[in-house]
Amino acid sequence: MPAVAQTGSAQLSITMKVQSSIGLVFNNNPSVGSQGFCPLGNAGSNAASLDLGSASYNGGDSLTCVLFSQQGNFYVVDSAFDVLVTKSNTSSISYQLAAQISSVPPANVQWRMNQRLLSNTFVVLQSANNYSRPVTETLEVRVRNDVPAQNLQETITFLATAN
Amino acid sequence: MKSEVMKSVYKTIYRAALIMLLLAGSSLSAQNPTATGTINATLNNRNGIALVFDTDPAGATLGATGTSAVTLNFGTISAFGPLSAGITRPAVTAASFTVRTVFDVKVTQGGLKSTSYRLLANLAAVAPTGFSYKVDAVTLNTNQQTIQNNATYGNDIAHNLDLVVSTAAPGAGGPAVGTPLTATINFTATAN
Repeated sequence: MPAVAQTGSAQLSITMKVQSSIGLVFNNNPSVGSQGFCPLGNAGSNAASLDLGSASYNGGDSLTCVLFSQQGNFYVVDSAFDVLVTKSNTSSISYQLAAQISSVPPANVQWRMNQRLLSNTFVVLQSANNYSRPVTETLEVRVRNDVPAQNLQETITFLATAN
Repeated sequence: MKSEVMKSVYKTIYRAALIMLLLAGSSLSAQNPTATGTINATLNNRNGIALVFDTDPAGATLGATGTSAVTLNFGTISAFGPLSAGITRPAVTAASFTVRTVFDVKVTQGGLKSTSYRLLANLAAVAPTGFSYKVDAVTLNTNQQTIQNNATYGNDIAHNLDLVVSTAAPGAGGPAVGTPLTATINFTATAN
């Protein structure tokens, strides 16, 4: 009786679920360094920082990259940067971008994005942006000339939602 | 019989549960993906005070008006002759004559709780022989003197600048004649 090789077989079943997702990063604008375009800290990530320097109503801003102006009793500092949203595994063709600030600013201080007043609830900036195309957003801080000297700081959260 | 009825009830409950699960699943898969990012933005708000000179409608036109370094040309002055636009001659006596113009001072502040300021002025150098200078009746010298105590920010405030000129002859205490004369007056605004 010849020996018959013993064989065995088995199957490994794999299951997975692919989920749609989108990603958001902040980039320096191509004009970075020129007036109105300050460099981001940690550019290319989704957790960046932006230093607008020191400013006063009469003295302007310490940084040349900040666009400074006086508007009535307020002084205004501006700096723009790019937001890039990419998509994966979704048929969505556009996304909505919104932003909010982390805390209520002191009296007579306004934080604005593309002229829109920010608050601690999301404010829609654009409703149908294209993926993979940088969108330039301009951060503006308006400070009335009677605001006491102090450091002004906000964490601005951007929320991109696929349409 | 009773068992058949129970089976039918269980089937109905099962189907209902299945439908609910399917609905819940479709609701989950319909949620749009989102992405977030944060920017930590900082601005150091400093305080400051600034002074500019503006041409007063009743006075001589200032050179570089609206700035903190202006020029004011009285033109040719005399006790009795014609004067330039915006220049008046409020007093002529045997000992001296006075020519006057009006100019505006505007002081702005930011980041201060101050609601008013004090204006001071001084001559940058001793006045030429035969001349004295007054701002709002305060005779100037090279030390700072108070011109106004509680001035309001943000408004053009008119001030008189008087040149009091001796009528004495040159060499006898009077001013040089026919020679351009200049003087610089420094102004300082101090927040109250």
